[in-house]
Amino acid sequence: MDSLIRTFSNAQSSRDGYQLAQTLSPDLPQQQLQAIWKSCGHHDAQNVIKRGIQNSTSGFEKLPKDEVQGWSDVYLAYWKAIGELLPALNQAPQSSWTKVYDAWKELLSALYRGYIGQGFEAWSIPCLYVVAKNLRFFALKADEERNNNVAAGDTSGQIFQDDFDPESEQNQKLEDCARQLNRIFTLCLNDRAPLEESRKWGIYYIINLLFKTYFKLNSASLSKNILKTLSAYRGDMPPLSAFPKSQQVTFKYYEGVLCFLEENYFQAEEHLTQAWSLCHKDAMKNKELILTYLVPCHLLTTHTLPSQKLLEPYPRLQKLFLPLSNCIKKGELHAFDLALQQGEDEFVKRRIYLTLERGRDIALRNLLRKVFIAGGFEESKVEGGPRVRRTRIPVAEFAAAISLGSKQMLETDEIECLMANMIYKNLMKGYIARERGFVVLSKSGAFPGTGV
Amino acid sequence: MASTQPKNDAKSTEPKPEQPVTEKKTAVLEEDDEFEDFPVDDWEAEDTEAAKGNNEAKHLWEESWDDDDTSDDFSAQLKEELKKVEAAKKR
Repeated sequence: MDSLIRTFSNAQSSRDGYQLAQTLSPDLPQQQLQAIWKSCGHHDAQNVIKRGIQNSTSGFEKLPKDEVQGWSDVYLAYWKAIGELLPALNQAPQSSWTKVYDAWKELLSALYRGYIGQGFEAWSIPCLYVVAKNLRFFALKADEERNNNVAAGDTSGQIFQDDFDPESEQNQKLEDCARQLNRIFTLCLNDRAPLEESRKWGIYYIINLLFKTYFKLNSASLSKNILKTLSAYRGDMPPLSAFPKSQQVTFKYYEGVLCFLEENYFQAEEHLTQAWSLCHKDAMKNKELILTYLVPCHLLTTHTLPSQKLLEPYPRLQKLFLPLSNCIKKGELHAFDLALQQGEDEFVKRRIYLTLERGRDIALRNLLRKVFIAGGFEESKVEGGPRVRRTRIPVAEFAAAISLGSKQMLETDEIECLMANMIYKNLMKGYIARERGFVVLSKSGAFPGTGV
Repeated sequence: MASTQPKNDAKSTEPKPEQPVTEKKTAVLEEDDEFEDFPVDDWEAEDTEAAKGNNEAKHLWEESWDDDDTSDDFSAQLKEELKKVEAAKKR
């Protein structure tokens, strides 16, 4: 405890929030945790800690009385939480991650009270980061442990109610954690102090934690609410670009994925591209996640595919996207369907199935384009004039191509329907002359954006 | 740790040998859909993906169609089919 207080004192005099936050980390070697826990006993902890905090600063830097009380409460809560954490780490009898969670929640509440009424200054908000981040971690542990116990038939301590809802029961602590994080979100957002000393600088870190939590709880809509609240306040906020890149990238990733899930692909692409560009070049896992959504976006917005070079460092993405990409390029509809089917579980899990499915249109476009190219050129009416591609193409030719590509015979009506869809989606320009059995394609850009 | 033990072991009351705290991270991060914490808070522009890819960025995305269509079986087959249609029409 003494060394904790020494660090506290140093951090207070240099106003170093990150150093201060280190004193509230549970992520220490066990011996160190052990030492903290043993440095005081239940009967004297409160006094030891308070005296320590009181004497830690002096002179001009002397902390006001309120703040001394506030930090004493914080470190007492920290000490108590360590007392739950140690047995849980060692799986001692009577220990549980639920107890760790509850004790850690007390710590977060003590911090909260410090900011609300005891004059904690905004430079110390990294303390909130460390404590909030670990609260979420302990919530996950607690839920996991409880679910395992339930599965093993140990239902002691479980209260069965009439409105028993297994789904929410499973994430009991994580849902509680989301509520706590939301409180912290409001705490940061509503700070009226001038920007340079405002808790608003904590907002993106907390939002990112909330996003992660809501995604795990499968409620993207709650994340959307956060974005709405944020945009209402955006005028009073420092710009995102003023925050550390780790926070910018994480935020842009989640903002992008949220747009993606709403099928707002243009915006999703914009956010994800920003996340990609700013991402640390060595953060392979995160880059892989960004690409998981950016690739389907590109397919739909600009009709482009990832190059071999782009996917080279990511074997998992190669497996995910290369078979589909090849089928799209070649216009092999049947093989595309098979590839989609083969990857279905993974695609669904990643929430990209529906988006990729729309890639079939691009495959079909490419198939029809092949027919157009195979049609060659018409003789120019003017001697030596520019060559013009044949633009009147029998529906029967497209029908043959589609039957070959999809490995099934389709009725002429169905073929025409597919063609009409292509035209409607602006993937092909022209019209169907039904009575003559021809498709008449535009002389200037029959397949927009593809050079013919 | 409870989570890493088989289910029926999770409520075991036997004290387990000491495990370093750092190990607990792995249990959760197996969730592979979650954006990871970066090891550092901030970095220079030259360490971003954008800086790395400046000269190669244009090679990262390619067109979705393939003009080189004489090489593969499928295209050859397609040409055959189209010829058949042509022939049928002339008959």
